[in-house]
Amino acid sequence: MKRGLFLPVVVTFGFVFLYAPIVSLVVFSFNQSRLVTVWGGFSTKWYGELFANPQVLDAGLLSLRVAACSASIALVLGTLCAVALTRFRRFRGRTALGAMVSAPLVMPDVITGLSLLLLFVAMESLFGWPAGRGEVTIIIAHSTFCMAYVTVVVQSRLSDLDLSLEEAAQDLGAIPVRVFFDITLPIIAPALLSSWLLSFTLSLDDLVIASFVSGPGSSTLPMVIFSKIKLGVSPDVNALATIIIGVVALGVAIAAVLQSRRR
Amino acid sequence: MLDHPEIAADSRPWRDPAARPFVRIRDVSKKFGDVTAVSGVSLDIYKGELFCLLGGSGSGKSTLLRMLAGFEDLTTGTIEIDGQDMAGVPPYRRPVNMMFQSYALFPHLTVWNNIAYGLKRDHLPRAEIAARVAELLKLVKLEGYEARKPSQLSGGQRQRVALARALAKRPKLLLLDEPLGALDKKLREETQYELVKIQEQTGVTFIVVTHDQEEAMSLSTRIGVMNQGEIAMIGEPHDIYEFPNSRFVAGFIGSVNLFEGVVTEDEDDHVRIRSAEAGGDIYVSHGVDCAPDQVLWWAIRPEKITLTRDRPDAEFAGANLIHGIVEDVVYLGDMSVFQVMLESGKRLRVTKANALRGDPDAIGWDEPVWASWSGNAGSVLTS
Amino acid sequence: MGELEWQCRLGADLMTTALVDPAPPSPPWRPWGRLRRWLALAGFSGRWAVILPPLLWLLVFFLVPLVVVIKIGFSASIVGQPPYLPLLTFSPQGDVQMTLHLSNFIFLAQDHLYLDAYLSSLKIAAISTVLALFIGYPMAYFIARSPDRLRNMLLMLVILPFWSSFLLRVYAWIGLLKNNGVINNFLGLFHIGPFTLLYTDFAVYLGIVYTYLPFMILPLYTNLVKLDGALLEASADLGAKPFRTFLSVTLPLSLPGIVAGSMLVFIPAIGEYVIPQLLGGPSTLMIGRVLWDEFFTNRDWPVASAVAIAMLVAVVAPLLFLQRAQNAVVER
Repeated sequence: MKRGLFLPVVVTFGFVFLYAPIVSLVVFSFNQSRLVTVWGGFSTKWYGELFANPQVLDAGLLSLRVAACSASIALVLGTLCAVALTRFRRFRGRTALGAMVSAPLVMPDVITGLSLLLLFVAMESLFGWPAGRGEVTIIIAHSTFCMAYVTVVVQSRLSDLDLSLEEAAQDLGAIPVRVFFDITLPIIAPALLSSWLLSFTLSLDDLVIASFVSGPGSSTLPMVIFSKIKLGVSPDVNALATIIIGVVALGVAIAAVLQSRRR
Repeated sequence: MLDHPEIAADSRPWRDPAARPFVRIRDVSKKFGDVTAVSGVSLDIYKGELFCLLGGSGSGKSTLLRMLAGFEDLTTGTIEIDGQDMAGVPPYRRPVNMMFQSYALFPHLTVWNNIAYGLKRDHLPRAEIAARVAELLKLVKLEGYEARKPSQLSGGQRQRVALARALAKRPKLLLLDEPLGALDKKLREETQYELVKIQEQTGVTFIVVTHDQEEAMSLSTRIGVMNQGEIAMIGEPHDIYEFPNSRFVAGFIGSVNLFEGVVTEDEDDHVRIRSAEAGGDIYVSHGVDCAPDQVLWWAIRPEKITLTRDRPDAEFAGANLIHGIVEDVVYLGDMSVFQVMLESGKRLRVTKANALRGDPDAIGWDEPVWASWSGNAGSVLTS
Repeated sequence: MGELEWQCRLGADLMTTALVDPAPPSPPWRPWGRLRRWLALAGFSGRWAVILPPLLWLLVFFLVPLVVVIKIGFSASIVGQPPYLPLLTFSPQGDVQMTLHLSNFIFLAQDHLYLDAYLSSLKIAAISTVLALFIGYPMAYFIARSPDRLRNMLLMLVILPFWSSFLLRVYAWIGLLKNNGVINNFLGLFHIGPFTLLYTDFAVYLGIVYTYLPFMILPLYTNLVKLDGALLEASADLGAKPFRTFLSVTLPLSLPGIVAGSMLVFIPAIGEYVIPQLLGGPSTLMIGRVLWDEFFTNRDWPVASAVAIAMLVAVVAPLLFLQRAQNAVVER
């Protein structure tokens, strides 16, 4: 057992390492001067500039819409997939389904993005749909890779679930569909919620895949931020970062309070 | 609620060759891959019985129960309930309800909703459901607990909710998987009595699976002893205990002394067995169907043996009499258990009720004693 | 085990009414009963309503795209929309012709850039994984050995960055590492430096470790928290010094966690694009960046596809190798 100073020192360093960038983002979002590295005084003007920027606002709304849709689609498809993989014994295509649903977890984003774009282009030339890429194609792409995460989370929860609960419901006269909605769903609801939130976050955060499959006029927030960053450091990005971090911290705090109250 | 139906324990339909069985299990077996869980089981259960499937782990009793409930398919054989073949009938369409070992109460529903769940599946009118749930809560003595969730109940209370839930739909057949396993001893005894009373009141046929022989003996009208996927013996508790059909059954229920021997006299009205282990002859006062010079076993229960200091009068020409030394005496309050070491090296287990308080004449350690028994005190076992 | 089997047999409904007594309540009207019976006869049980949606979706949006990538990898680049030649063409006589251009793959094999990028990606990912392990293991160990309340808070602190934008956190490092950035300004106070930290391989290691640290900590934590304290006490009781106990008891038992965490860092790191793009220099070669440049900068779709195929093959191989290693560890 490592006693003494070694562990606490390394751990402190580790947390400093994790949070130093975040702290610097927040601090310099209130910087008077444009230089993100030298303190020129306290100011909230960058927040004002941020909200006055239509490009950022539109991209933000688009990203939120896309994230909400993708997370919901991924939740439904991923849950169906998890149910099929944990509760059904053998069926044609079971190995295929299992492999396809976990592959996006290990495939690099660039390949996922490229392949979907090429698909959309080919589909467009064959069927005429999707006509030009945009919100819909991004939603499809995000749903596909988020589905993998939902399946992993829900599958793990389902395999922990006591089968005798579902058997008891069947014994009392409920057909399997009824059993799922009456018994299984309410009990695994927390897992469903957390996988929805996970998908939402992943979709909101995605840059690479969205860059491939988006079209003109449908830039997501990460894409807008990325093009801004490539031009150089910009304090309104800091402001945006601070807002996002604030929302996330608030969300996590609320979740922690709810959890402890339940206990 | 049904009004005092004829209790199967009184009418004993299994003794009537013309009676129609309620549950017919014919040649049922179940294989999981290479493993055979149940093999060639045939069994008839009559309406209103409280039938116990008794066996150790791996005996196949739980698998058989699950096949009755519809959660496992049959590899071979048929199961008929009330004259109807259950092949292909899913659990939600069988007139069968089950009480699970873990109770399987729905954690997110209240006690009231748990019990009402099955009734709601039948789309009964609200008033009827409410009346029925109230009736059941009264039956299991849980009035006032409607709004509680399972996590707010004790083990015994949860068990009663599970029972109420299983009885709600007035099933023809109720299956109980180790219903008393999770309860402590005192609660178990109380609940045993209540369970029998409820069964007699409602007239529902119960099939109970248990590994506890005391439970089986106290609850059932008949017991089916299972061993490694097969039925070892079916019979009333009295028959299983006093007239076991094999060494396995004899050893499984209660304790028993087994002696191996060879038949020396084989007549219609009696049989004489010479046993080296017993160090003498055993006289059995009934005929036994066996071949000459066949090796067989003789089983006698500890309470059927009498211990005396003086050699008793030889009733059977020197048979049914062994000499030994008391090795150990265990005082259990209501009875005493004697371990007698015989000359052959075998140990004899004898029990005696302590009918006299503070008996000054009680046999103690290291005393030489004579063990004797009557002509029909034991059973001859050929397997 | 009960299957959620939804099989329907002809006449089953008739059987139900015979069973229930007294008078059965009228069953709810289910118009699709007849359709179900037809499908059941055709061999499809109700299960397929559950299996088909995700299966079809994945076939169309996962499998087919990969097929398309393979197809285009064998095509040639042209100026036009879309910028590649079709695989199948109709010859003047009316029959179908399939042209496979192997030029892309030959190009990949001949030009050193791609092999170098692949090897460089492996190197960078490997170094980053090791660094992440060195930082993450003590952290996971400390958290696992902490009392309950502190433990939950620390875990929350570890996971929190993950929920905020990954792009923005990488961006934050730009501000920190720049020549006139926070770190250099701070060191400048003591008249040290300035060091060139940004646009170097070092910055990329930093970025990857930073981004993937939670993925290293969590599996390690899960493993270490299950470690039976009694084992460590037994070791101490038998006379082993703390460090020895660590080497011979803790470390071997935490091996599955180490492997899991390493895989969660190494695999995605190979194909990273954003981190090398934002933090790396022009000489920082990573295969994900190469693919992106081929596609967006050079507009050469066929070569990009060929790179993708090569990446799939080259990434799947270490993945299978690592999985086999993990299975071997688990078996032990």
